Amino acid sequence: MSATVAPGEPPARRSASTVAWSLPARAIATFSGTPGLVLKLVLLGLLNALSLWAATILARDGHWVAVGVLAAVTLAVDAIYLSSRRAVPLKFLIPGTLFLVAFQLVPIAYNVNIAFTNWSTGHQLTKVEAIDGIKRNSLAPPEDGRTYTMAAARDADGELVLVLVDEATGDPFVGTRDGLRPLPEGSVALDEMGLVQRAEGYRLLRGQELVAADPALQSYVVPTGDAAIRPEGLELAVELAPTLVYDAEADTFTRKENGVVFRDNGRGSFVAASGEELEPGWRTNVGAHNFRRVAADPLIRAPFVRVFIWTIAFATLTVLLSFALGLFLAIALDRKGMRFLRTYRSLLVIPYAVPAFLSLLVWQGLLNDDFGVVNRVLHLDVPWLFDANWAKASIVLVSLWLTFPYFFLISLGALQSIPAELVEAARVDGAGPLQVFRKITLPLLLIAVAPLLIASFAFNFNNFGNIYFLTGGGPASNDQDVAGATDILISYTYKLAFEAGKGQDFGLASAISIAIFFIVGTISVVSFWRTRALENVR
Amino acid sequence: MVTKRITRALMGMLTVAGTAVLLVAPSATAAPASGSTVTNTTIRIWSDRDRKPAVERVAAAWAASRGVTVEVVEKDFGKIRDDLKTVQAATAPDVIVGAHDWTGELAADGSVVPIIPRAAVSKQFPGYALDAFSYGTSVKRLYGAPVALENIGLVVNTKLAKVPTDFASLQKQALAFKRKKAGNLAIAVPQGANGDAYHMYPFFSGLCGYVFGTNKSGTLNPKNIGLRSPRFLANTPIIDGWNKTGLVNSKVDYGTAKDAFLKGKAAFWITGPWESDTLKQSGISFRIVQVPAIKCKSVPFLGVQGFMVTKFAKQHGVETFAKNLVGDYMMSASAQRSLAAANGRYPANTTAGKQVSDRVLQQFGAAGTGGVPMPNIPQMAAVWSELGGAWVKSTKGAGATKARPAFTTAARNIAAKIG
Repeated sequence: MSATVAPGEPPARRSASTVAWSLPARAIATFSGTPGLVLKLVLLGLLNALSLWAATILARDGHWVAVGVLAAVTLAVDAIYLSSRRAVPLKFLIPGTLFLVAFQLVPIAYNVNIAFTNWSTGHQLTKVEAIDGIKRNSLAPPEDGRTYTMAAARDADGELVLVLVDEATGDPFVGTRDGLRPLPEGSVALDEMGLVQRAEGYRLLRGQELVAADPALQSYVVPTGDAAIRPEGLELAVELAPTLVYDAEADTFTRKENGVVFRDNGRGSFVAASGEELEPGWRTNVGAHNFRRVAADPLIRAPFVRVFIWTIAFATLTVLLSFALGLFLAIALDRKGMRFLRTYRSLLVIPYAVPAFLSLLVWQGLLNDDFGVVNRVLHLDVPWLFDANWAKASIVLVSLWLTFPYFFLISLGALQSIPAELVEAARVDGAGPLQVFRKITLPLLLIAVAPLLIASFAFNFNNFGNIYFLTGGGPASNDQDVAGATDILISYTYKLAFEAGKGQDFGLASAISIAIFFIVGTISVVSFWRTRALENVR
Repeated sequence: MVTKRITRALMGMLTVAGTAVLLVAPSATAAPASGSTVTNTTIRIWSDRDRKPAVERVAAAWAASRGVTVEVVEKDFGKIRDDLKTVQAATAPDVIVGAHDWTGELAADGSVVPIIPRAAVSKQFPGYALDAFSYGTSVKRLYGAPVALENIGLVVNTKLAKVPTDFASLQKQALAFKRKKAGNLAIAVPQGANGDAYHMYPFFSGLCGYVFGTNKSGTLNPKNIGLRSPRFLANTPIIDGWNKTGLVNSKVDYGTAKDAFLKGKAAFWITGPWESDTLKQSGISFRIVQVPAIKCKSVPFLGVQGFMVTKFAKQHGVETFAKNLVGDYMMSASAQRSLAAANGRYPANTTAGKQVSDRVLQQFGAAGTGGVPMPNIPQMAAVWSELGGAWVKSTKGAGATKARPAFTTAARNIAAKIG
């Protein structure tokens, strides 16, 4: 699937002037003979082996649709690269398309799919598993419930039974699926650890026999009226009674103690009229419920405008200030013959080269207002991270530090592409440096850079890391809503989806991320549309 | 034309051959997994790196006596909880090492199953250690075997201060020390801009605060939020006093607090057993005690680590064995001793606790007496940042919010988030 397969075919038409072969042409020539063919076959073989290996795993887990898709794609790739020249365009298109599908479309489809489910803490199982779980978790010892020292054994007929010794009285019993039967006193012997050592008339299971009996023991129940004795591990059996009873026909649970009925609420839980919910619930489709929550939840609606404005301000300021600083430095360092030019340029790229989360954590320390270096060195007393407005300023400053090298590099490159004669012509016409910058350099630069500005805006709009690592969205605002002073949409919704309710709510998180996608998407489309106007400058 | 056809036939054959060679590998590895029932039953345990050798050693002894094998898979501690949600049944663990505050989430998910130890075994554990792993909205059940306890304590530099017997003495000594020299801290307790509700908890409980109350079945009730309990709110002016004198300062973060204590710029430090080695190597003569009572006992949060049996044990046909390992064997005093020692924590089993000889660990253990397990219900996720934030706002020195509104707002936010 790798792109190196693509040049495997010889160049279609050889250029007449073979003397001036470029490096790529030479590489193609080297790989177009037998070595290229071998390389192609090895790569295809590896791909097929990988697919086969994946298919066995998928088949084992019963994902037959995925196996079909995988087989079809693999065969198609084989066919395309083994076929003659007719499929040449496909040979170039296929790798990119596959990666696009695998890393863009599939995650998006998966995300949208999750947004319509209730996947969250307490909603992980299937309904059948959840009903089992509720039954199991609701078992409780009855009032005079007994516990027994237990040993799994076989009786004379080879049936699996439990040899039991009441922990309180020491009386021996045998438990079968029919019920509890007392054994004659002294027929069961305990060892010094208090475990069953021997039982007359029964053969205790040991070693591999016991291992093989595990599945049967898990569900072994010795009925004792309302309650039942169940094995708990290998040496203990406990009398337990259900506190909730499941009615399969009505699909309800009823609490024995007071007759409260829990019904399926259609969103993956059994819920009583009082709102009490049984755990665990199950994972199910809930339609547009998550989207309705995004629209109606007061936790989202109350601070939305404030958070949204700050998000726009944060993204805009970060992009514009970084661009301004980057461009200024690029122009300043665009002189030929300046000493240490390379050193200066390399130094400026450092903030970009250091992993952002590291810089952010370092900055958090530097900006500490009583103990941080910034305040101490500058003899300031600025509450960088502890005051709402200063925290916003800190976020923008640190984001500027992290982003300007990017624009410095971009601008430096773009400046080279501006024809020198244009600038010269303007100078001849009597334009000053500022005028040249405003009328010639900047408009021409923007043609190249404007799309990057928009992309950078979209990135910063969702720049979770900067907020999370520097201020964590704080400081907490003094008013009533839950959003912190520096929370942007994505960091605030993270709090809602993962630090509210019962912990993690993947369904809500997906719904919110789709909503944010539409916001960012709209802004970007409008901006791109506006920048078309720039291109007419030429 | 002929050569071309031959070439293409060759291509196809080679490609198929290449795949055929590699086809052997997966089928070879798949074979033992499928035919496992009788000959080679394996209990799979997910453990963190620190504990892995000890878990391997302890579990191997059990496995040998039971005729099964144990496979210990190393995982990042936090990943154990996350990966349990997405793991495929075939490779899923039967037993996990976990923290007690995962209990509510994992039980609500149905990922772990309840266990019942023998009465003789349960008796060897303090009630709070078992409570830490107990959960249930209607029936309270035990979901894990506690193994190791950890909690913070007040570390006193005995050259710089006397071990305080009451809070007034702590306050007096701390403030006197702070006034001695610029840059000195009164009590080095970490908070920082994002807050640290965990390290502040002794002060919170000392002022009679609590996080969640309990309901009838004895489990935590997320509707009963102790940040706004009248008893605590009545004591909040004390916090304003601390802020004024600088006894507690939210601008001190973890690094600052540690640095100050180690450099002799603070006589009192709030920290836990993960700093045992640092303390021993520092050359400072110190003693660790519980923070003296303020209005109530100033108990710390307890973190309990232990083992849980997953829902997969049943599917793998090893549930009774896994329950025997976790609910019986791992809870014995001898197993607990080596498991807790593996990462320098105090064993949950009281018999094993009495055998701890490490002085620092003993003192941390004593400092945790009466401690409160961190709430193990999933709603706790909504509390940390709010409770930490209230402390930050009310103890940030000049411009601080009064404690009463700070904590009332936090309580209201928590209630709104829990919904």
